[in-house]
Amino acid sequence: MTGKPVRPVNAIDQTRRMLSLVTYLKERPGARIADVARAFGISEEELVSDLDVLPMCGTSFRGGDLLDIDTDGERIWWHNPAALGAEAAEPLRLAADEATALLVAARAVATLPGLRESDRQALLRATAKVEAAAGEAAGASSRLSVTFESEGGVFADVDRAISERRRLWIRYYSPARDELTEREIDPIRLVSVGHTYVEAWCRRSEARRTFRLDRVAEIKILDAPSAPPETELRDLSEGLVQPAAEDPEVVVEVGPGGRWVAEYYPHDSAEELPDGGLRITLRTPDPASLRRLALRLGRDGRIVSPRALADSARRAAREALAAYDGIEAAEAAGTARASAPGAELQARPACSVPGGGHHEGRE
Amino acid sequence: MAIAKAERLMNLALCLLGTRRPLSKRELRESIEAYVEAFGPGQGAAGSDDSFNRMFERDKDDLRELGLVIETVESIDGEVGYLARRDSNRLPPITLDAEEAAALGLAAKVWQQARLAGAASGALQKLRAAGLPEDVDPYGAHSALEPRIPVHEAAFEPLMLACRDRRPVVFDYRKSNAAHPEQRHVEPWALECWRGHWYLAGFDRERGAERVFRLSRITGKVRSRGGRYTAPVPDVVTVRETVASWAGETADRSARIRLRTGAGYPLRAKATAVRERGDGWDELEIPYGHGLDAWLVEFGPDVVVLDPAELRADVMDRLRAVAEG
Repeated sequence: MTGKPVRPVNAIDQTRRMLSLVTYLKERPGARIADVARAFGISEEELVSDLDVLPMCGTSFRGGDLLDIDTDGERIWWHNPAALGAEAAEPLRLAADEATALLVAARAVATLPGLRESDRQALLRATAKVEAAAGEAAGASSRLSVTFESEGGVFADVDRAISERRRLWIRYYSPARDELTEREIDPIRLVSVGHTYVEAWCRRSEARRTFRLDRVAEIKILDAPSAPPETELRDLSEGLVQPAAEDPEVVVEVGPGGRWVAEYYPHDSAEELPDGGLRITLRTPDPASLRRLALRLGRDGRIVSPRALADSARRAAREALAAYDGIEAAEAAGTARASAPGAELQARPACSVPGGGHHEGRE
Repeated sequence: MAIAKAERLMNLALCLLGTRRPLSKRELRESIEAYVEAFGPGQGAAGSDDSFNRMFERDKDDLRELGLVIETVESIDGEVGYLARRDSNRLPPITLDAEEAAALGLAAKVWQQARLAGAASGALQKLRAAGLPEDVDPYGAHSALEPRIPVHEAAFEPLMLACRDRRPVVFDYRKSNAAHPEQRHVEPWALECWRGHWYLAGFDRERGAERVFRLSRITGKVRSRGGRYTAPVPDVVTVRETVASWAGETADRSARIRLRTGAGYPLRAKATAVRERGDGWDELEIPYGHGLDAWLVEFGPDVVVLDPAELRADVMDRLRAVAEG
């Protein structure tokens, strides 16, 4: 099951919806299709397919008391509301999964730093009321939790800039080049998928970009109005990083200790290797940005291609090692003078193995 | 064409909700067209009773998933009847104002997992039927925020159900640095999503202790096991602290490094002290926890570790591996 918000024709979901629908429609003769679909968070097509089923339903088909519900394409009419006794039309209690899904999501949203205080208060009040109404069904919701993370101050400024339609100036850290750049951006929306991002029109690159809030080193709201060009919003449910087919290919082979790469980097393929490692093929517009990865992997993996990337990592490692020559020599001289009794440093093995062995990727 | 399942379930639900006395299986079979069409009215062809019984049991289970409380009552003459009493199925009175309604509307949209997305909309629809205010949308002018809870791991749904129903599970798990997966027997406690990844906390039966598992490292299917939990479930389960320590965020010491001027902004952001040397390098004190060596190596020739010596050795060891590679 993927994370895409799919709405298949699911008999359970449809039954659940129709049960609420009859309660709702009973109170609202002549309700508009468009309004009901909006209230139920479904498309008009879905609503119409429910309205096709309802006339086949009733408390007993033998008794001839099927629900006489129809629509003229604009409004919904129920000609025999009495067919459903007052009792069978009351709102139903929440199921355990329903309470869990709603409460866990509400608690998660309430943790978003930078959420407007009035919204957070409303959410907390609503959560408490739903908990009370759900009763026992709310119990299992403590077994699931979600924390959104974002930088509070930055979030609040971006949020304000979006609602006031103003331009932002940011100093932004790009890990690929290990540099801070200054940009003016016209913010479009905030997206939380694990980390929190702002999607914006970047006036420097004249393109749509997403910026991770925890990489914003500095932010200012400008007086200039924000004017992002009108473009269709992307569906971000498949991930924010969507490499293009024409991006150059990078092949990385990792040992068992480097398998985390497949978890952190979107890739085209990950082939199992006999030693428990992986051969990972991925695409990136800028392969040089993966030098960090090559350095980080150390013994746990190597860049197979492109050659230039493997070479640049090797050169960087040699250059870095060279810097230690001076230090080690100076320290050896210093230690010999200063620490005659119990010179711990000399007892240390030349290559110690790092402690745990969990190599959690850090982007 | 066979009658759609949703229609059958809807009729069964309405029959059970609409009755004041328990209805026998036979009565329900005769009242619901989908059953009549599939199995004939009572005592049909050989085997049809069995298949009716199986379908009836599954349908009742499905309705229970939707939250319907269905009672089984045995009458004096021994016949079993079913009903969904109003008292046990009615939503208690709940009044939400427009702001609260809008906040819940936002929350109901965050799930990207089909089952929970369906359940969250279902909850909102029930509240809507109970009079949850509509049309006032404070987010209309303010739809900037789009939180999403990603669920890409296949193991999520079976583990969520196992946590809910407190059922022991078995799965193959590959530790981050292990070549091959190992079978783990776990009493699942809770699932937590942190930084976009899902983790399971539970009692590992072989190890006899609490363990945290990352869902993306579960290979193959999660299978349920019968029986009860053998270890008590703690009141508070702390997944995040464990994961944070894996990620090296629980620093207990401090390290001193040299960093090229202008480079390594994230290191500067974490530094407890920065001193400009004036020779193109700065000297930083940074928290030293698990995983710092791997992080420092990423900066290549822009970082030089001064002390402790152990960290310097780890960093040099990693650099040598790349230099010789």
